[in-house]
Amino acid sequence: MAHPLSALLAILLCLGACLGWLMLSGRVLDRLMPERAVLIRPWLFLAPAGLIVAFCLVWPLLNTVWLALHGPNGVGFVGFGNFRLLAGDARFPEAFRTTLLWLAVVPAAATGLGLAAAGLTDRLRGGGLVRPLIFLPMATGFVGAAVIWRLVYDYRGGGGLDEIGLLNALWTAAGGSARPWLTQAPLNTWALMAVLVWSQTGFAMVILAAALRTIPAETVEAAQLDGAGPLRIVLRIQAPQIGGAIALVWSALTLMVLKLFDLVQAMTNGQWGTQVLAGLMFDWMFGAQDSGRASAVALVLLVLAVPLLVLALHGVRREARQ
Amino acid sequence: MSIFRKAVLGAPLCLALLSGLAAAHDLVFPPGEDARFHWAAYEAFAATHDLRGQHLSVDGPWGGIDKQMFESVIAYFEAATGAEVAYAGGDGFEQRLLVGVEAGAPPDVAIIPQPGLAAELARRGHLAPLGAAIGAVMRDDYAAGQSWLDIATFAGPDGAPALYGLFYRVDLKSLVWYVPGNFTDAGYAVPRTFEELQALSDRIVDEGGTPWCIGLGSGPATGWPATDWVEEMMLRLHPPQDYDRWTRGALPFDDPKVIAAIEGFGTIARSAEQVVGGPEGVAATDFRDSPRGLFTLPPRCYMHRQASFIPSFFPAGLKPGRDFDAFYFPAFSAFSGRGQPVLGSGTLATITRDSPAARGFLDFLATPIAHEIWMAQSGFLTPHRGVNHDLYGDPVQERLSEILLGATTFRFDGSDLMPGAIGAGAFWTGMIDYVGGASAKVVAARIRQVWDTLE
Repeated sequence: MAHPLSALLAILLCLGACLGWLMLSGRVLDRLMPERAVLIRPWLFLAPAGLIVAFCLVWPLLNTVWLALHGPNGVGFVGFGNFRLLAGDARFPEAFRTTLLWLAVVPAAATGLGLAAAGLTDRLRGGGLVRPLIFLPMATGFVGAAVIWRLVYDYRGGGGLDEIGLLNALWTAAGGSARPWLTQAPLNTWALMAVLVWSQTGFAMVILAAALRTIPAETVEAAQLDGAGPLRIVLRIQAPQIGGAIALVWSALTLMVLKLFDLVQAMTNGQWGTQVLAGLMFDWMFGAQDSGRASAVALVLLVLAVPLLVLALHGVRREARQ
Repeated sequence: MSIFRKAVLGAPLCLALLSGLAAAHDLVFPPGEDARFHWAAYEAFAATHDLRGQHLSVDGPWGGIDKQMFESVIAYFEAATGAEVAYAGGDGFEQRLLVGVEAGAPPDVAIIPQPGLAAELARRGHLAPLGAAIGAVMRDDYAAGQSWLDIATFAGPDGAPALYGLFYRVDLKSLVWYVPGNFTDAGYAVPRTFEELQALSDRIVDEGGTPWCIGLGSGPATGWPATDWVEEMMLRLHPPQDYDRWTRGALPFDDPKVIAAIEGFGTIARSAEQVVGGPEGVAATDFRDSPRGLFTLPPRCYMHRQASFIPSFFPAGLKPGRDFDAFYFPAFSAFSGRGQPVLGSGTLATITRDSPAARGFLDFLATPIAHEIWMAQSGFLTPHRGVNHDLYGDPVQERLSEILLGATTFRFDGSDLMPGAIGAGAFWTGMIDYVGGASAKVVAARIRQVWDTLE
């Protein structure tokens, strides 16, 4: 019982501290400089949140930049030396290319499949039964998914051992001979991406299905009267009307791919040419204990995320203006 | 006479009974009873070490059953000296130690599995140099004593080399596991030289069998079994000095000597006939599943090179010596002048906070009884020649001990001596790429390139 109680106590304390701050600081401000209180008060109220953001987000970011410009353990200024070293190391360009491939394939595939699933199950009798099945993989953590899919891709080496992998069972039934799916590049990266698409299609489907509900029924009816098929209705009539939701799903998936690490780590450990940037960052930080090069990789990831952040901020401003 | 015995003999009956029960729990082998143990040395140790009322904290990597074993050894130290020992032990030891050292609150004694970590701590002045007496035990009583001494000798904060660790418990790598029955059925003899081993492998292939089982899979550490192979080949193809220069980084990773060692591993691991499943099978098989091929009917493979811990992953219910056995991964007869190199690893007892109790504990770990108590209970190898080897419970442990004691040269697992970015990174990846078809030259150059960028 000690744990929940102390957590509750901590929440109450935090709330109390915030309320106390708002009341006390407001009162002190009124007393000290009543004529400027209106100007200063918003900043005063923002201060606690600002401090937390500064401490938890801004400071780590600045620290990462500082570390990226220094040697291992932050000793010795090296300028852009870490980036030069990364560029000269065969592993970095490989991980960079692999990450770009993930960014190009996974968000598009998961969003597309999710949209198709949302649109088709909407007009399907029994669609309500199909959706939970598609959504179910979402409830599986990446490491859990990795364990399951490692069994699907399992390969026993053909030395007389019985193959137990599902994919090899299908493959051999179709006339092929068992293959090591996870250890042959570039096929293995596609095998890994399939797992993420499998896991995230449900997420895309749920969001997009909710968005589809908001579309006026008349537009769909009009299209049906004009003789449009179901796929055409999804792609030409409905999709354009839920552009915002699609963009949201797409960018959420893109961010997820950028920080993707656990799935690759658990399935191939980044070997056989499957390493992604987040995994490379982990290797440099905790394998080689070089905070400099690990931070440099982190900054590359950040730069890749910048276009998305700009787009998101742009969207927020536009909404605020409306 | 030890304090322990005085207490038992001098106490009233009920107290004696009680302490007898406690002793049965604390001291697994009653002192003085089983003549195979070196009790005289134990009594002599007790007579010269009175640490009553002193406390000692010890930390190390052993958890679970190993922790129980080590605590059963510690009980003898407590009984002999009157000191109280608290052993933490278990996963996360390295982090605990580093945090403790940085915070100025380390344990008194730390048992460190990586010489590289101990060297770093010694350089920063966190370890106390051990006395000449401990050095003499390792040099004179340990098989290949000078090798052990060299591995545990580091430069201190002033740059002067000194002995900082006592090797207590080691693992042996240079082993080939096999099923004696399979060898007898097929008429194979245990090879004594590397040439004989190669001839045997070729003969097995000619007779339609597959000689080797190799698996490199090991979750996040996938690839390490291949680094052991390359280290074994380095020690067999080249003098030990080359091995030392290689692990220090003085011999570049793409030196022709290293490439020859990698290719020596490749003649087996990249061959479709020599190894079960061919190179694809080697890469895809977990090292824990790999030895199972020895025990199928008919055997999928006849030999498996792996360290002394691997029987834990054998199928249950096998009898050591009858159902499986091990022989020394032999050296080339062409280089017979170099003797028998043995590869392994071990744990170093170090003093992280100096005190008479800590010194006393190291003195105790150097006595035969500290080794005998553990080896009489379970898997425990020691290079200490002063211990009674009749205490090994099973014939395979005895054989491993013979191999260890027969070593003329002992070398520590090289990947543990290299920087983490190599030994636990680029080396693993490189070996996986090599088994996957990349050339040894390309792979070695890539590893060297990473090493060159390290400080």
